Amino acid sequence: MILVKELSVERSNKKIFENINLSLGSGKIVLLKGKNGSGKTTLLKTIINIIEPSSGSIYWKGKPLKKNLYDYYNHITYIGDKTTSLRQLSVKENINIWKKIFLSKTSKSQIKNILKTMRLDRYLNQKVNELSFGETKKLELLRLILEDKKIWILDEPLSNLDEETIDILAQTFQDHRSKEGSIIFSSHQNSEIGVSEEIRL
Amino acid sequence: MDYVLNFHWKIVDLMFLINPNKFNQVADYIFRPILVLSILLFSLGLLFSFYISPNDYQQGSSVRIMYVHVPSAWLALLTYGIMTLYSIAALAFKIPFGFIFNTAVAPIGAIFTLICIISGSLWGKPMWGTWWVWDARLTSVAILFIIYLIIIFINLSFENRILREKIVAIFILVGSVNLPIIKFSVDWWNTLHQPATISKLSKPSIDPSMLTPLIIMTLAFMMIGLAIAILRIKTEIISRKSHLN
Amino acid sequence: MLFFNKIIYFYYREYKLNLSGFQDILTNIIFFFLSIFIFIFSIGPDKETISNIGLGIVWTLLLLSSTLSLRKFYQDDFESGNLLILHLNGFSFGFIAILKTLSHFFFVQVPFLISLPIASILLNIASDKLIYLFSSFAIGSLILSCLGSISSSMNLMNQKNFLLGSVIVMMLSIPVIIFSVGVINFEENFNSLINILFGILLIVFAINPWAGGLCLKLSLENS
Repeated sequence: MILVKELSVERSNKKIFENINLSLGSGKIVLLKGKNGSGKTTLLKTIINIIEPSSGSIYWKGKPLKKNLYDYYNHITYIGDKTTSLRQLSVKENINIWKKIFLSKTSKSQIKNILKTMRLDRYLNQKVNELSFGETKKLELLRLILEDKKIWILDEPLSNLDEETIDILAQTFQDHRSKEGSIIFSSHQNSEIGVSEEIRL
Repeated sequence: MDYVLNFHWKIVDLMFLINPNKFNQVADYIFRPILVLSILLFSLGLLFSFYISPNDYQQGSSVRIMYVHVPSAWLALLTYGIMTLYSIAALAFKIPFGFIFNTAVAPIGAIFTLICIISGSLWGKPMWGTWWVWDARLTSVAILFIIYLIIIFINLSFENRILREKIVAIFILVGSVNLPIIKFSVDWWNTLHQPATISKLSKPSIDPSMLTPLIIMTLAFMMIGLAIAILRIKTEIISRKSHLN
Repeated sequence: MLFFNKIIYFYYREYKLNLSGFQDILTNIIFFFLSIFIFIFSIGPDKETISNIGLGIVWTLLLLSSTLSLRKFYQDDFESGNLLILHLNGFSFGFIAILKTLSHFFFVQVPFLISLPIASILLNIASDKLIYLFSSFAIGSLILSCLGSISSSMNLMNQKNFLLGSVIVMMLSIPVIIFSVGVINFEENFNSLINILFGILLIVFAINPWAGGLCLKLSLENS
């Protein structure tokens, strides 16, 4: 669905990466691998059309991305390196706000189940401020389920997570893949998540 | 002869106004003539304004401040106008030379405004009896000075060069929309709060014997401004290139 | 219809956020009153002088205290990545600027309406002038919100010099101050002055999505 052709990005005339080709069909999981500073985050931000590429183009459903940007945005979930949960509100309120603003159709019992498997259910009435960093990160990943979009674009989802959560995440990825969804994520560490394509930067 | 001919052909191509490389070429040709011309005009203008032009029958000799004050005020406004044009060019047509121009020229405009304010208050002390009067013109020129200062401060305080240049251009455009509003509102405010008897500047007609030195001084100021601007733009082109590569 | 729901929930989110930081707004109002006290201490308790310059003081302090809350505009959302999420959720940058401006108006400026009558009592402003104060405040504070949006979006990536945003707002808001105070002092011109204020509001409201949205886009691109 997403097709990236010969993409290069320059910032201040410094080449960050060049000639990246990538195609993301349904049911595919693409892993971006590379060292720190190799441009993984920049590539992901270019794919979501925040950074302008210096050359090359991105297509969505066969059309250039800029032509139907908001249709594209209706189909992607992006999780960046920042935790977007509102720190001064409680976990429950955050989930409520997310559910409303993403017009989510996820049922209450489903969310309860996920919270239980992620071991977040006991923090439900606590402020996000009081959670540890790993737990905030887990809460952030909850957005994947809440938004319920086809394409997941994740920036370093595995960092700061314990092995148990990584296993849950891998399971979620496989579920999503079997539902014809597709995932592109970046990582600098090895993991046991089954991927269909690996791109080195 | 050869020099003149070359110069002539270079100036026809107006691309030097938006292309850094061509600007460098043209600037090399015209920099020295402009410098010589500015020195000549300036000495001629000073001669005229100090010795040849007559005293004002009301203001006496202090009217000679006008020959510094008025050209600098005009140039302060003119600089802002050109910066606005270059900002539009830079943002709408993606011409990076506009960013270079804005960064290089803002301090020149600020200095012209400062000269205008200082000479104005020097003029005001013998005429009005105070250094500063809340006259509409004075106030709006002071605000123009603050706008120039903000442009310079934006240039100083952002670390990301690409971002900073664009934000300066946006600010210049917003300021250029706001400047007439500010001018209008200050005018309105001023007419309400005090009678406009002190505004000696708005004399309807001016004698030719005073107009000649004024025009010569304006041209001299323009040439000096242009010479400094060429130097600053060339420096800016070099520093931008070395930063970006 | 879905889009309207999104807008409503955007404001629900803003409401929740502002409710949890309500002491912030209260602190703003306290700043406003304390500054009035300080003004009076520095001028002296003479009733005539105070009622002469009272309106000017009120407007100056409204401007100053609205520059205090500039950080609330985009900075928090920008740093936590929420701005990006909102954009990916279907709001264009210009539209985010409009929504945020209105949210700032409702949640930060409107609470000041409560403090205006009290301030007018403290400053000996005649109660029949209060209606002029309110009407000029309703338009003027929306202009201040738009200007705040423009300047704080310019200032997002500015790590060295955060005060610059406040300076930009103060510089741009000179006409607002002049005409707002004029509305109250020259009641016979009320209609024409309100019209001028309204015109300025329309201009600023038209610039805001363009300038604010462009600055937001640039800051996200370069962060």
